[in-house]
Amino acid sequence: MPFISKIERQTDYNRFPSSTPIVIDNGASYFRIGWAGETEPRVIFRNIIQRPRHKTTGETVTVVGDHDTALLRYFDCTRSGPRSAFDGNVVFQFEIMEYILDFAFDRLGANGSRIDHPILITECVCNPVQSRSKMAELLFETYGVPSVAFGVDAAFSYKYNQLRGICERDGLAICPGFTTTHVIPFVDGEPVYKGCSRTNIGGYHVTDNLKQLLSLKYPHHMARFTWEKIEDLKMEHCYIAPDYALEARLFQKGSKEAEDKTRCWQLPWVPPPIEEPPSEEEIARKAAIKERQGQRLREMAEAKRSSRINELENQLQGLEFLLQQLGQVQEEEIPSFLSKTGYVSKHEIESTITKVSQSLRKAKGEAKVEQAENEEKADSSDKYPLINIPDNMLTAEQLKEKKRQIFLKTTTEGRQRAKQKRVEEELEREKKNREDEERRLENPELYLEQMRTKYKELFEKVEQRKRLKTTNGGHANGNSSSGAVGRGERLNAAQRERMRLLTTAAFDRGKGEDNFGAKDEDWQLYKLMSKDNDDDDDGPDENEAELARVCSRLQEIDPTFVPKPETTPSQPTSAEIPRVRPLTKEDFQVVLGVERFRCPEILFRPNLVGIDQAGLDEMTGVSIRRLSTKNEALEDRLTSSIFMTGGCSLFPGINERLEAGVRMLRPCGSPIKVARASDPVLDAWRGASVFAANMQFQQQTFSRADYYEKGEDWLRHYQLRYTL
Amino acid sequence: MEAEVIRAELVLPTHMSFKRIQMYEKYPKGQSKVRWKQLKQIIQAENYQNYDPDEPNYVNIESPPSMQPCKRICDITGFEAPYHDPRTNLRYANADVFKLVRSLPNEYVQRYLALRKAAVVLR
Repeated sequence: MPFISKIERQTDYNRFPSSTPIVIDNGASYFRIGWAGETEPRVIFRNIIQRPRHKTTGETVTVVGDHDTALLRYFDCTRSGPRSAFDGNVVFQFEIMEYILDFAFDRLGANGSRIDHPILITECVCNPVQSRSKMAELLFETYGVPSVAFGVDAAFSYKYNQLRGICERDGLAICPGFTTTHVIPFVDGEPVYKGCSRTNIGGYHVTDNLKQLLSLKYPHHMARFTWEKIEDLKMEHCYIAPDYALEARLFQKGSKEAEDKTRCWQLPWVPPPIEEPPSEEEIARKAAIKERQGQRLREMAEAKRSSRINELENQLQGLEFLLQQLGQVQEEEIPSFLSKTGYVSKHEIESTITKVSQSLRKAKGEAKVEQAENEEKADSSDKYPLINIPDNMLTAEQLKEKKRQIFLKTTTEGRQRAKQKRVEEELEREKKNREDEERRLENPELYLEQMRTKYKELFEKVEQRKRLKTTNGGHANGNSSSGAVGRGERLNAAQRERMRLLTTAAFDRGKGEDNFGAKDEDWQLYKLMSKDNDDDDDGPDENEAELARVCSRLQEIDPTFVPKPETTPSQPTSAEIPRVRPLTKEDFQVVLGVERFRCPEILFRPNLVGIDQAGLDEMTGVSIRRLSTKNEALEDRLTSSIFMTGGCSLFPGINERLEAGVRMLRPCGSPIKVARASDPVLDAWRGASVFAANMQFQQQTFSRADYYEKGEDWLRHYQLRYTL
Repeated sequence: MEAEVIRAELVLPTHMSFKRIQMYEKYPKGQSKVRWKQLKQIIQAENYQNYDPDEPNYVNIESPPSMQPCKRICDITGFEAPYHDPRTNLRYANADVFKLVRSLPNEYVQRYLALRKAAVVLR
């Protein structure tokens, strides 16, 4: 990066006598300060401050210049962006200016009770008096400076280069700066401000334009496009095309030269680790593990089953033994004998035996459904002997017994019926499947078509239901009983149906009298209405179940079938590119093609960014026109020594472009020579330093006393004389 | 303050020996309550109309609008753009770019327009 900050604290402050002026180049981009007579400024830093809050202590501190971002992590920088004292090229925020001067003097090594040196400070062309006076005030009051001089940085640069022979006594100084661009004609070595012209475009706008363009083109990498990085890119890669239209056409055609001119910035990117398909051993190993697990589970099940079988067998044996014993024991002793074992009657024992043998058989894997049924039927007729006997013949206890038996009978019968229904349904389904299969076998194409259409319809229905639900579901819950009659959109389908029924019932009567409810049948209306939202949730399940069935069926028989993914209710923003493919290296490349010469073009055409002013080449014409000398020779002299200074003049190709531009404005054959300063960035300071080192500098400054005596008006007319 | 912050001398010290009035005396309670005049206000306060118009001042030396015909370049690609989209007010170079233009969400359209200062600004 060509611009480097130098912020070392200088130690030799005391070496300089009080007469040595301090030279300050107060630019919108960089602040340079040093001693008069030297070739390099001592301290250089960016002319911005930040006031972050310290995270732990909470105090607000001031950080001047561009600092190491790593150290700023201790500070909360959310509310404090970088702030500049400048608005355009005029200083208006003197508090910030004070911080900056503090820092500058501190790093210069200042000590003592005041700055005891005359100061030469640069300002913009035709600085408003207010800004000038406030600056003077700041320097006099706060720093105790004995005397101050203001000068224009472009003029200093011009004079310095004039000494070097790069430009003549008469010439045009063109200074594209950070926020503004000036063209100043010099006649007899003095700037003629009457002919000066200023356009409010500069390096800041170029960088900003580049930043916006790249952010719009690569929205995913926006975080990487910081101001500093973009400035670096601009300084390294941007150039000015000799003819914009021609270059643009080159790139549009996609020619080889355009390819050469395109620069590509590769952002750091790590390819994701490739997941190798599991090797043979892996697969075998996993299969073995699964096998073993399955085995274990099966063993456990087996063990359980066998233990249960044993248990049941034991129980059965015991019961049979008991039965045997019972057979041996006499009639009278049965109750007492049985009470010991816990069974009430022989019948009960027998029924338990049958039950146990049944379960044993089931456990052994022989399910005999019919037998169970038969057993149950047999049981029912035996178990409920009291049912058939009419009531009047039974005692109270027996009545109770009878009631219990009736209850048991009905429940078992109900269970049987349910089981039967299930069996029937199974048979039905089997039949349907068989039919389906037959249909499929006889005409596969047609069948497939039918399935597909059915799938589509069901899908649509389900989707619609879902959509309705999401739009109405939020409102419907808990809203069923509210009196929001007028809000039609709030009610869901069930509630709407309810409303409809009620209103029709109300209207049906009509005839001026409301006799709803006079007849009993009217109240049947309420049976038609669904209760709250219960039905709503059950309904779609049926459709969904059907859908699932059809889907699975299709998947079985149709190899090309892909189940449609459910559309999410939210609309995805079209700005997001769906990442269906893995990110490649190319995604992380930032290509600078047209932007390379599009951004600096705005110096010559401010219209491109909406600033309705003349560009660089036009400004020279304006400037010469404003001078309004009829002296052709002078004009020729001016154009034969066009001098470029300022940070933005470092763009390659700017000289040729400017020359071509000026040639368009001037009469044919007039001499045009464009020269660039030896060091556009630092020459302003150097010129000022040379100026300040001169003996006669002291006559040009004004002191505090002068300032207060002569007042503002005098300050307005104060101008430096640059030729010494 | 952390050690490395102190070592790097990141923070501006509050007391400077060479100053007559320190910052904290001048601006108690941190930020200054003074509202600094913006450039526009400064220029207004200058009352340049009272002075000789021939004399160069800050407003005088500003350059006039450009006389050259406005070069229309495509907002997105930067090529020459003979066409203009009435719906989004963007300039585009050819049909492919037009497709892109129409597919942009409004936020991006406004940002492209803001590059040329043609965006709709709601204050």
